[in-house]
Amino acid sequence: MTGRLGSSLLWVYFVLMVAFLFLPLAILVLFAFNSGTTPTLPIEGFTTKWFTDAFSNTDLTSALVRSAAIGVLASVVATALGIMAAIGLNAKRVPGEPVAIGALLLPLVVPYISLAVGMLILLQALKFKNALWEIALGHAVIALPFALLVILPRLRSLDGSLNEAARDLGASDFAAFRLVTFPLLLPALLSSFIICFSTSFDEFAIASFLYPSGQPTYPVFLYGGARSPAILPQLIAIGTLVIVISLLIVGLSELGRRWAERRIEGRNSASVDVSSADNLATT
Amino acid sequence: MSRSTSRRIGGQGLWVWPPVVFVLVLVVVPLVYIGLFSVGLRSNIPGTKTAFDLSNWKDFLFGENNPFRNLFWHSLLITVLVSVAVTIAAYPLAYFLSFVARKNRYTLLLLVLAPFFTSFLLRVIAWQIILNENGVVNSFLWWAHLRPEGDSVTWLIYSNFSVALVLFYSWIPFVALPMFVVMENMDRRLLEAAEDLGASRLTSFLKVTLPLSIPGIIAGFVFVLIPTTGEFITPLLVGGPESQLFGNQINSFFNDSPDWNYGSVLAMTLILLVLILMLVFGRFLSADLRRPAAEVS
Repeated sequence: MTGRLGSSLLWVYFVLMVAFLFLPLAILVLFAFNSGTTPTLPIEGFTTKWFTDAFSNTDLTSALVRSAAIGVLASVVATALGIMAAIGLNAKRVPGEPVAIGALLLPLVVPYISLAVGMLILLQALKFKNALWEIALGHAVIALPFALLVILPRLRSLDGSLNEAARDLGASDFAAFRLVTFPLLLPALLSSFIICFSTSFDEFAIASFLYPSGQPTYPVFLYGGARSPAILPQLIAIGTLVIVISLLIVGLSELGRRWAERRIEGRNSASVDVSSADNLATT
Repeated sequence: MSRSTSRRIGGQGLWVWPPVVFVLVLVVVPLVYIGLFSVGLRSNIPGTKTAFDLSNWKDFLFGENNPFRNLFWHSLLITVLVSVAVTIAAYPLAYFLSFVARKNRYTLLLLVLAPFFTSFLLRVIAWQIILNENGVVNSFLWWAHLRPEGDSVTWLIYSNFSVALVLFYSWIPFVALPMFVVMENMDRRLLEAAEDLGASRLTSFLKVTLPLSIPGIIAGFVFVLIPTTGEFITPLLVGGPESQLFGNQINSFFNDSPDWNYGSVLAMTLILLVLILMLVFGRFLSADLRRPAAEVS
């Protein structure tokens, strides 16, 4: 459908685009190991000094720990609420469905800056002091639509008769969920957790308004540090680690997807064999 | 259906409400408070008399040459231009993945999406390092003797250019995705029919592929337009005083020079803008949870 010249041009475009997309990441990796104190060319020499410096900088490491804790709490809350919402929306009759769907997708479109100042106002009206758990709840609500969009298609693809069979065999609703539905949902729950965690770990707007003074999250610390040349190399080093870990997770999930696809294909071809054997038997 | 099962199903449907209440408390209530602040019914300064007062709205909407309203239009123009540029740049990517790279298309798609899964803030900081006055580009030019040492290209950073470039960069992967999904779901027999009937490659692209990919193009455009309307991190890091966006003005009304009431007028304007965009373009977005969503993987 596309001529040979067109295909070649599109290949070139694709390769250039991917290079453009990875350029800033490559720059960070490059300067994480550069012995020069400023990220400028030419490269001076190889060092791992910035990594050791970064890990002995307790301001930086405690910001990382804070963000990790907030991320875990936010992902657990968002995923749990995502399961509830998915089960609710999967029912045959949902009371107030349009309102519920609208509300659940609302956090996707409300600009984070407006949401952040709104939360600030609300907390002030309730006379709450800034706290890390407030950031975690804020992150949970912006991650909830992602959790739902990951979990719901998986729940819909499950065979409802499995759950029914469990209940026919005497399992309570809860037992049927715990023993049948939940294990089948696990891959989706894992994806949901990863997506929610990375959303929270990178979130700046809400955190910048709600963090208690002296307790910045990692992005808030990063933002402040990007302006001070003294700690910039350390931030680049840690940033490189964060990026490599994210890319590893993306790569592993792709391998997992391929593995699952091959297994499903294997199973399908097996079932085709069975049905063709049946056909043979009937003819 | 027996009575007991119908009751059970009704019970399952009720599970949707705890998460909905969570969203109402953490999103809708804050938005209501922004509304109250914007009309002067609440104040952050204790002891201030509060009363219904539209003067901030009047000033913002009708005040002569109001700087915040000018900033709003300026920001909207930049965001629309960036969204158009991103959409145009992402289309060939999606086309390549769907029509040229048939076999490994999901792996190559992941290559395009991968940077999007890494920290946004880190990528903006990386651009700051690249574009800085003594950053990668300038220090390279000096090192290669293409420019005298210390003489930096000034428009590279703290300019409308740097803000637009970084926004453009950040959103390409995300915009390519909905276009790719639409192209994957396209009925390829229509293209074969066009070619069988003697259409040239260009004609069948212009008359078949392009019109059929319009829903994806619009979805991609909205995917970048909506999140960038409230953008303020990019201008904070790579923008100068002249290239701040509307989101930055909201940020400073709640930070540097606090006026929560006026800031709420701007925050509310942004929310209304997004709601209008959703009303206009919402039907092109495929996050429809009522029917089984098309698998995007």
